Amino acid sequence: MAIKARDRIRAKLKEGQTTVRVLLAHPMHTGRGENEQGELIAAEFIQDIRCWRNDNEVLTIKCGTATARNPYFSFQLTGGAAGDKIMIRWVDNLGAKGVAETFLQ
Amino acid sequence: MTHQPDNNRRKLIKGAISASTLAIVAASGLLLPKRVLAHWPSDAFTAATVEDALLALVGDAEVVDDKLVSFKVGAPPSYAVNGASVPVEVRSSLQNIERIAILVDKNPNPLAMSLEMTPDIALPFKSMIKVAEDSEVIAVIRADGKLYRTSRKIEVDIGGCA
Repeated sequence: MAIKARDRIRAKLKEGQTTVRVLLAHPMHTGRGENEQGELIAAEFIQDIRCWRNDNEVLTIKCGTATARNPYFSFQLTGGAAGDKIMIRWVDNLGAKGVAETFLQ
Repeated sequence: MTHQPDNNRRKLIKGAISASTLAIVAASGLLLPKRVLAHWPSDAFTAATVEDALLALVGDAEVVDDKLVSFKVGAPPSYAVNGASVPVEVRSSLQNIERIAILVDKNPNPLAMSLEMTPDIALPFKSMIKVAEDSEVIAVIRADGKLYRTSRKIEVDIGGCA
């Protein structure tokens, strides 16, 4: 495989609120799609995404197959101070995992 | 020297206790990843109808169609050229939101995503979903034991459930 795209995360402080944007690199196969040879591609999709702020779990997102390829999420956290650590962990249905973290600017 | 056997017994008991605590810690540590996986509500995500998915996910609750939830789908709204990535945006003035679910009526498995909220999270929430064909897209918010539901009709040019 060529260079694997990386999960990206950005956190910004705006009007006293933290805006978090996450872009995960994942094919999100539903198990219904076919490849060029007409064979079914096995299901492979992110099921569980969790977000931490400074060791506090703040959000859990459960995904089904209808989440788009290379999932994008954007949400707000109340409050926040520069230097806060925002961390995302994901797990897909095959047990693959990923972590992305950033510090609030 | 009369205390010697007593001391030994104490040591033995102490040893046994710490060993058992270690075992418990190890077991819980090992169990953690499995538990995280098992947490995925497969009933809800494999349900074939919106009603079944909601029942499995949030249980029976009074459904209120409400204007307190503002919900945007598609760019431009209500129309998406490519069904493989349709932007959605959920806003609401509701307080104490416990859960948000986004469903696509005509998809093989309607439930697209489900969010478990904590007081630290504020809306708007934005994401991308797949839409197989022209369909209703539904946002359901559970707050204070009530379900608030809004939906938008969306048209897609290219179905996106591959």
